[in-house]
Amino acid sequence: MSIDLLVQALLNGFGLAMVYVLVALGLTLIFSILEIINFAHGEFYMLGGYVTYYAYALFGLNYFATLGLAILTVGVAGVVAERLIFHDLRGKALNAFIVSLGLLWVMQAGAQLAFGVLDKPVPSAFSGIVRVLGLVISVERLVVTLSAIVLIIALYLFLRLSRPGRAMRAVAQDADAAALQGVNIEAVSALGFGVGCALAGGAGGLLAPVFAVSPAMGALPVVKAFIIIIVGGMGSLPGAVLGGLLLGGVEGLGALFMGSAAVNILGFLMVIAVLLVRPRGIVGGA
Amino acid sequence: MRIRGGIAAVVMMALAATAGTTTPGAAQDKTLTIGVLGPLSGGAASYGVELVRGAEMRADEINKGGGLKVGSDVYRIKLVSYDHKALAADAATAANKLVFQDKVKYIIGNAVGATCNAVQTVTEPEKVLFSFVCWGTSNLGPDKPHSFRAMLSQWEVAEPFYRWVKEKHPQIKRVAAISPNDTSGKDTNTAVVKALKGLGFEVAADEYYERGTKDFYPVLTKILAAKPDMLDVAAAPPGEAGLILKQARELGFKGPKGWTAGVNPVTLVAIAGKEAAEGVWSPANINVKSDFVSATVRRFGEEYEKRYKEVPGVIAVANYAAFDVFTKAMQDARSLDTDRVLAALTQKPFDTVWGRLVLGGKETYGIDRQFLYPVVISEIRDGKVVDIAQVLPAALKK
Repeated sequence: MSIDLLVQALLNGFGLAMVYVLVALGLTLIFSILEIINFAHGEFYMLGGYVTYYAYALFGLNYFATLGLAILTVGVAGVVAERLIFHDLRGKALNAFIVSLGLLWVMQAGAQLAFGVLDKPVPSAFSGIVRVLGLVISVERLVVTLSAIVLIIALYLFLRLSRPGRAMRAVAQDADAAALQGVNIEAVSALGFGVGCALAGGAGGLLAPVFAVSPAMGALPVVKAFIIIIVGGMGSLPGAVLGGLLLGGVEGLGALFMGSAAVNILGFLMVIAVLLVRPRGIVGGA
Repeated sequence: MRIRGGIAAVVMMALAATAGTTTPGAAQDKTLTIGVLGPLSGGAASYGVELVRGAEMRADEINKGGGLKVGSDVYRIKLVSYDHKALAADAATAANKLVFQDKVKYIIGNAVGATCNAVQTVTEPEKVLFSFVCWGTSNLGPDKPHSFRAMLSQWEVAEPFYRWVKEKHPQIKRVAAISPNDTSGKDTNTAVVKALKGLGFEVAADEYYERGTKDFYPVLTKILAAKPDMLDVAAAPPGEAGLILKQARELGFKGPKGWTAGVNPVTLVAIAGKEAAEGVWSPANINVKSDFVSATVRRFGEEYEKRYKEVPGVIAVANYAAFDVFTKAMQDARSLDTDRVLAALTQKPFDTVWGRLVLGGKETYGIDRQFLYPVVISEIRDGKVVDIAQVLPAALKK
C-alpha cells in the first residue's frame, strides 16, 4: 500500500470532519447551557439542508447568502423550539430526552409531508478537483471544510468576546451565580439553543450540495456528533475539533483495511475506549 | 341542505339497486384489500413510490371499470401501503400488520432483498400470495411457493449485460462492483462477479457499503486504487448510486460505468449531475418512451406521466403488470382463495403491459416464479435515458 494512498485516505477522512464538528459544537453548546441533550439536533441540520435546497437550488440565491439564510432560519427555529418546548425542561434530562425524541419524529414526519420522501439534489456550487503531489482534492469539499473552519472560529470569537457569548459561558459554568450577576437566564437559554441549532443548520447548508437533502439526512451527522463530543470532551471546543479529526482519520484509514460495516464500528470502539480510560473525554474538564 | 342530501342519497341508492351488475361502479358490495410494501422514505424511497403508483394505477382502472368480477362477486379494490424504510425489522412489522390486522391475502409490491426475506416469514406460513421486485436468490425457491418476482433480477440480467459489454467494448478488461451491504447487494455483486468471471473479465473490486452512506470517498479511494476500467454501481439505489458516481468523478474516475440493478435513472442523474451520470449503462432500467419497449408500455408511461408528472421507471411497470397478472388469475380461478389463485397463476402465460409474460426460473431457483421478459440495455446520454440494445435472458431463450 503506497504512502499516497494512505495520505489520500486521511485527507478523505478529515475532509468533512469539520462539518460534523459544527454539528457537535451545537449539541454541546445546548447541553452546556440547558443541561439537556437534544436528540432532534439532526433535524435542525436537515432544516438547514432544505433551506439551501429551496433558496439556492430552486430560487438561485448566491451560495454563501444561502448559507447565511440557513444559519439564520434554523437559528430562529431553534429559539422558537426553546421557547415553546424546551424552556421548562432545563436540567430535566429524562423529560428533555423524551420530548426531543418526540420532536425528532414530528420534524422528520413533517419534512416527509412538506418536502416529499425522495432525495432532493442540490447542484454543486464549486466543481473541479485540485491535484497536489498525486493527491486528489475536491474543490467543493475544500470550500465546505474552509467554510466550516470559519464558522468554528466565528463561534469561538462570539463566545470569547461578545457580551451574549460571555453570558452563555457564565450560564454554562454556573447558572445560579450567573443569575445573581444579572444574567437573564431565560434569554441566554433561548439564544444558546438558537445558536446551537444555527450551527447544525449551517452544517446542513454546507453538506446539502455534497450529499443532496432528504427528511432522514440528520440521522448520520448526529451520531457522528455524539461520538465527537464524547471522544473530545463534552463542552470543549478544542475537544470537539480534536474528536472530529480523530474520527475522520480513523474512518478514513479504516476504510482501506476493512469493510464498511467494520469501519462504522470503529467510531463506537473509540467511544468505549475513551469512556473506559478517560470518561470526561480527551480534552474535557473534570 | 341536510334534507336535500338525504333525498339525493335515497335516489342514488334506488338507482344503484336497479342498475344491474354490469354497470360500471355498481353492485360493488365487497372490498378486496391488497397490500403494498416498500421503502417510502430514505435512499431507496423511489422504489416504494413506484411500487405504490404502479399498483394504484391498475387498481383505479379496475375500480373505474366497475370493479373486479371474481365468479359472481364484484369487488372494489382497496390498497393499503406501509413504509418499511428498506429495513428488514420494519418490513416484518409491516407484513404482520397487513396480514393479521388488515387481513390481506395478497401483497403486490415490495423492494429491497432483505425486507423480502422478512416479509416471507409472515406470508409463506399464512399462504399469502406475495409479489415483489427484490433482488435476492433466496427470495424464490421451492420452499417459498407463494412468492413471485415481478421484475428481472441480477441472475437474469448480469450475464447478458456483460456479454454485450464484452462484444461492444472489448477494451474493458477490469471491472469493479459496489453494492449495499445486505442481501440484495451481496446477491447482485455475486451475480455480477459470476458473470464477469464466466466471460473472462478480471474483477478489480467486489466492495460493499452500508445503506444510508453519504460519503463514499473512503471506499472509492480503495476501489480506484485497484485501477478498474469500468465501475458498476450494481445494486446501489438511485440516490446512493448518484452519490457514488459523483464522488468517483471527483476522485478522477473517467472510465465506463454500469448499473446492473439500476432502475430509476432520473433520480441518479439529478443526484450525480449530468457529467457524472453520462454514459451509465443499465440492463435493468427501461425508457418508457423508447422504440425498444412495447406500445402498451409506452401508453402506460404516458398515463403515468399525466397522473404523477414524472416518467416511470421499470418498477412502476413491473408492479402494474404484477397487479394485472394477480387479478386476472383471481378471475380465472373464480375465487380469492390463494390456493386456487396460485394454481391459476402457474397454468398459462398472461397478456400484460409487457406483452406475453412467461413465468420461469426453475433452473436458477428450483421453481418457476420469476416473471420473464426481454432485457433492454440503456445508456444515459446528456441526462436522458436512451435504449441501445435488446438482449434475451438465458431462461427466456429456452
